[in-house]
Amino acid sequence: MAIALHLRKPPMGGIGKKVAYYPGCSLEGAARAYDVSTRIVAKELGLELDYLEDYNCCGAMETKNVSFWGTMLLNARNMSLARKQGHNVIVAPCNGCSFSLQRAEYFLETDRKVFERVNELLKEGGVDPIDEIPYTYHILEWFYHEAGPEKVKERTKKPLKGLKVANYYGCLYTRPHYYARTYSHIGGQDEEARPSKRDTADDDEHPYYMEALLEAAGATNVEFEPMHTQCCGGPHSLSDEQVSEKFVMMILQTAKRNGADIIATECPLCHASLEMYRHRLMMKGVPDVDVPAAYFTQLLGIAFGYSAGDVKLKDNLSDPIPVLKRLGLV
Amino acid sequence: MAIHERSLVEPERILRKERLVIDGIDVSGDWNLIILPRTIEDYDLSFYDEVVAQPEGKTIVNCYQCSYCTASCPVHNYWDERYNPRHFIYLARLGLIDELQKRADVMWRCVSCHKCTHRCPKGVLVEEVLKAILRVMAKRGLIEEYPSKKFDKFFMDVVYEYGRIEDGELLFGWIEKQGYQVVKDPILKKPIPFMGGMPEWLKQLAVKPIKNMNIGFLLLNAKHMLFHPRTKNWNRFKQVLRKVMEEEGALTH
Repeated sequence: MAIALHLRKPPMGGIGKKVAYYPGCSLEGAARAYDVSTRIVAKELGLELDYLEDYNCCGAMETKNVSFWGTMLLNARNMSLARKQGHNVIVAPCNGCSFSLQRAEYFLETDRKVFERVNELLKEGGVDPIDEIPYTYHILEWFYHEAGPEKVKERTKKPLKGLKVANYYGCLYTRPHYYARTYSHIGGQDEEARPSKRDTADDDEHPYYMEALLEAAGATNVEFEPMHTQCCGGPHSLSDEQVSEKFVMMILQTAKRNGADIIATECPLCHASLEMYRHRLMMKGVPDVDVPAAYFTQLLGIAFGYSAGDVKLKDNLSDPIPVLKRLGLV
Repeated sequence: MAIHERSLVEPERILRKERLVIDGIDVSGDWNLIILPRTIEDYDLSFYDEVVAQPEGKTIVNCYQCSYCTASCPVHNYWDERYNPRHFIYLARLGLIDELQKRADVMWRCVSCHKCTHRCPKGVLVEEVLKAILRVMAKRGLIEEYPSKKFDKFFMDVVYEYGRIEDGELLFGWIEKQGYQVVKDPILKKPIPFMGGMPEWLKQLAVKPIKNMNIGFLLLNAKHMLFHPRTKNWNRFKQVLRKVMEEEGALTH
């Protein structure tokens, strides 16, 4: 049996300046700061987000664990909506959402039977079937490719001088390479199948897009390997508290001991998990865990001259304002 | 002599002697450590077939037991040595169901970080295969209800009902399922975040936006808790979702 290696060719002519924006449930509730700051950053960088009307939940890890076809259907519906709005690319700011969409993309692309059955079911459910499977990218990849560090540098009005940032990417931004289209150094892929100069996806074990953008905005990045892609407990952050607490402790302590003032995140679930367990660890009196977390878009927004209120820094339960105030940034 | 992955061998099968004489020949020294052999008669090969039949489980056939997955796994490395993805695949292949059952208390601990899947040199979707194994075990009644599955079903039900999830409902609903007393308002039966016997950390966390006078945040989340965000035209789609999930036995009600 053939190995299920798969690397879909990137869309012709890059990701594009105008894409379908799939915010996901979290960004319209507890993580609205990420949504607001993402829109600000996109506007500043000259990119356009087309809100995906009437989307549904991607199903996240939880649905995936329970039902294969359920997840396929949920994501296929979103893809169908994106096609209806005339887009070939969906951008999601959440690791979980982009993972789910990319996973559906993988199975629809590699398994003809899945594709046909899903289309039939979509028709039955009153949704247009998918003619062409849209691509999904994480919003960080989109910012990096369509705007890039140069544009960020150009737009920066108030450089984040002296701010030491630990960049936390989380798991599903780079993994697994079948879905995230990162190049795997291990997985037996041939060099020719690799997208040219990794032009659509980040490096798998050493991601650098967030570092590059924040560095262009004037921040200093601290050494954070290998914790930058270490798991925060993810789908188990509520159901398996002991494991999540230990993982978060490792992440926060590494950041603190490497001299970070703040952790930059790019996923609302990682962010919530870090903040929640940071609070609990501090209540227990665990040392070196008091690093606050902020979305990378919030930091970019501040560098672009927006105030703390504009990027909703108060929404962050870990309170990054004192750190930024000390450096005169807000 | 060192034993590779020693935790996989039961302690009573490891025999260590200071002096060992076999047939009158002194074999102490390098050969003083022996693993007693065992005979397995009870295995069920149909288990493996059932895993392969799952859409995500079919890449299990590619596994060549290199243990890259186990070496990458954060649960194995930082939490419990008994969580060993390679070994689970091995056991599922041989159909050693009772051995799998012995590890049922750790098998659900996978945090879905996908390091195993990402690094597998043979293209096995390890995380998905493990979930397929778990699902087959649950289908056969080999594993009891475990916390993460309870949460998964809880989450699934919310998605199924409304098409979208809401953080407050998930958090407080889960807290309630954990056995805490959540106070609800009498009319809409929605939880009131600052009352009841909630864990202390959550109370402190819930009070933070009030302390910060973060009124927009409070209003938005209160609105979502009262009027659950919904996907429009969900009802027709829901029927299809119901149909496929009932086929898989994924629906609780």
